Amino acid sequence: MSTDTQWRVFEVFHQQSRGEPHIHVGSVHATDGESALLMAKEQFGRRQACVNMWVVPADAITETAYEDADIFEHGTDKSYREAFGYETTKRARAIGDTRDI
Amino acid sequence: MPTEAVQPSVTPAVRSAVIDLLYRLADDSVILGHRNSEWTGLGPILEEDIAFSSMAQDKLGHAQALYTLLHELGEPAPDANAFLRTTEQYRCCELVALARADWAFSLVRQFFFSEADRIRFELLSQSAFEPLAQLARKLHGELKYHVMHGRMWMKRFGQGTAEGRERIQTAINAVYPHALGMFESTAQDEAIAAHRIGPSESEMQDRWENEGGTVLSDAGLTVPKNVKPVYGGRAGKHGPELAALLESMQRVYRIDPNTQW
Repeated sequence: MSTDTQWRVFEVFHQQSRGEPHIHVGSVHATDGESALLMAKEQFGRRQACVNMWVVPADAITETAYEDADIFEHGTDKSYREAFGYETTKRARAIGDTRDI
Repeated sequence: MPTEAVQPSVTPAVRSAVIDLLYRLADDSVILGHRNSEWTGLGPILEEDIAFSSMAQDKLGHAQALYTLLHELGEPAPDANAFLRTTEQYRCCELVALARADWAFSLVRQFFFSEADRIRFELLSQSAFEPLAQLARKLHGELKYHVMHGRMWMKRFGQGTAEGRERIQTAINAVYPHALGMFESTAQDEAIAAHRIGPSESEMQDRWENEGGTVLSDAGLTVPKNVKPVYGGRAGKHGPELAALLESMQRVYRIDPNTQW
């Protein structure tokens, strides 16, 4: 659309401490990655802890369609495939995660 | 807080020099913060509006911290100092007081100021006046971001469209004489350097011209040559812009200075 003056959309991910996964926090408009990072820092970095930030052009993301959400459903019981039985998971939970399994 | 207990080793000469410096730093910060806050809601794009407003908030925070150091040296409390002094009592440079004009003008002013601000506080982190050195180390991250922000925009405008480059160059030419006024020295300049409280203004200016000039040249922009600096602000001689700003900034506080906020 020639009348569209919006800049590209960048999705923003932040990491609250080293080793943690990057979490999606929102998006910004920018012309390029460097300016997207500088904008994202003020939009998303100022209200909570952050040690590292990623920006990714939104058009670089390939996504599934919501009408295909059923592909993620299990047709039969496959709980044996879930990772809860592993020893490492149990140790990790014993250390820091008290949520119910 | 009692004044002498804070820094028992401070001699009267050092104290006078520190107070002179702190007023200049604090007044620059509060006035620039106030000026840039005038862009809140009016920025060219939402993201930049928020980033610019946030940097204005940073500057008000720096002012608060610097006025607090002054208060610990026996000067008035931060609010009274910012809101009750007259135009002639302010020691900011004219650069920060100028009306915000267009976006290019405000952006270039912020760029020139941030470049000097970062150099100054980097040197002040080694200050012999320890409370100021501690504060300088604390402000490091915010000032680093301000510089990254300014440089990013100079690069974009310098290498972008012809219109953008022309508008930013026009702003650079207009702001430059006032930017040089940041380095107007005072009677305390020698004492500040001699007691290792902070850099001399000539050292500051050399470093600023070198580092800021490189950014502009690399961006394909032109650094004005043989420019006569606009002085006066450090001696309390201000143009009408500062008076208008203070009238607006101080109006509510002056209605009842004893009100508890």
